[in-house]
Formats: sequence, structure tokens, C-alpha cells
Amino acid sequence: MTGPVALKAAYIVTWVILLGYLGSLLQRFRRIREEMNDLKRKG
Amino acid sequence: MKSVFIPFVVLTVGLLAFSTYQALFVAPTEQTMGEVQRIFYYHVPSAWTAGVCFFVNFLASVLYLWKRNAASDALAAASAEVGVMFCTVVLITGPIWARPVWGIWWTWDARLTTTLVLWLIYVSYLVLRRFSSGGQTQVLAAALAVFGFVDVPIVYMSIRWFRTQHPSPVMGGGENSGLDPAMLYVFFWNLLSFTCVGIVLMVIRYRLQMLEEKVEAAHVTAALQGGAR
Repeated sequence: MTGPVALKAAYIVTWVILLGYLGSLLQRFRRIREEMNDLKRKG
Repeated sequence: MKSVFIPFVVLTVGLLAFSTYQALFVAPTEQTMGEVQRIFYYHVPSAWTAGVCFFVNFLASVLYLWKRNAASDALAAASAEVGVMFCTVVLITGPIWARPVWGIWWTWDARLTTTLVLWLIYVSYLVLRRFSSGGQTQVLAAALAVFGFVDVPIVYMSIRWFRTQHPSPVMGGGENSGLDPAMLYVFFWNLLSFTCVGIVLMVIRYRLQMLEEKVEAAHVTAALQGGAR
């Protein structure tokens, strides 16, 4: 692995992890809001 | 709170874009390593932010053991997860940097090994929280967090205590340490932006944890009401 390739790989990996984690948090938010709405409808 | 958070998120995105631009295009190229040294501007701030998150986790865990309030437990859960995420970035960008510079992906030296152990401690903390059932989960997790935090200063001091493959400290490492002022300027921008990203993610994760607990309590109430009928 050459220097420039490693540099690109490190930056891309960092962004993928950050955005992936943020995406997973937002997905969990959506799911929990749906669950809350279900509970409100039932209750 | 919301009126402060949204501008803070916008500021963080702007900071991250600015600091990344500085790291890739403005910071001077290091003479020995060349372009690959620019990984430093993501690798070290990620390690710093992981350390900050684990420190927050430690404080929140101590507070939980003392006061037993849901908010400090939620903060502990949030900070541990975000800390693990940043520690994962460190453990991946490190070997990517090491391969062209050292010729190897990994070596079992003090800094690398203690960082891996740190990651494993906090992953086990998250696993405990996720899969343990019963009323003592939060207390067990808080106790694990308090003992687990002992590894954070060990990771920090490892390159001072031991002669390792990992470079000696660049800042605060003695006479021959130090950064070029132009590099230091870029480094501090990245340190600031990564810290802000950590704060944003911790706030989002904290809110999620509080909502999850609210929903769980509502499920329990609904089940009890259903059983009583």
C-alpha cells in the first residue's frame, strides 16, 4: 500500500464509520418513534 | 436545548469540512513520511475524542453508582458507544498508516496492545448492557466502566513508560518533541472539530437512550395493565 492510497483509505474509512454510525442512530430514532406512536394508538 | 443544538450541529459540520480541507491541502507535507503523515490529523483527534468519551463514561458511571438516576446511566451508555466508535477509527487508521511507514500492519507493542485492550473493555461494556437481563445491569455496567477507565491513562502513558514501535509523544514528550507551527495549527482545528462531532453524537445517542427507556417503561405499564384486566 503506497502513501497516497493509505491516506485516501484512512480518510474514507473514517467517514464511512462516522456516517454509518450516524445513520444507525437515526434509524434507531425512527424505529423508537414508530414504537411510541403504536403505544399511543393502543393506549 | 434544541435551540442551541441545531446551530451547534451546523457549526460542527462546518468545522469538520474546514479542518479536513486544512489537513489535506493546507498542512505542510512531512519530510520523512510524505503524504501519508496527513492521517495524523484524523488518527490523533479520534484517539483524543475516544478518551474524552470514556472520561465522560467514567464520570457518569460514578454519578450513577452514587445517585442511581436514569440520566447519568443514559449518558454512560451514550458516551461508551460513541467512544467505541472513535476507538474503532483509531484501530483502523493506525494500521493503514503503519503499513507504508513501518512495513507492517500491526505489532504487539505497548501503545497498540493497550489501545486494543481498551476497545475490548468498552465493547464488553456494551455487550453487558445489551444482553444482561435483570435489575443489576446498570450497576454492573457502571462498576465495569469505573474499573475499565483505568486503561485510559495506561494507553496515554504507554509511549512514555515503554520504548515502543509507536512514535514517542509529539506534544509534551520532552526536548526533541514538537510539531511545526503550521502543522500544530491544523492539528488543533481537527482536534476541535472531532471533539464537537463527539459531543453531537453523544447528545443524539443520549436522547435515543432516554426515549428507549421511556418506551420500555410504557411497555411494562401496558403489560401490567393488560395482566390486571
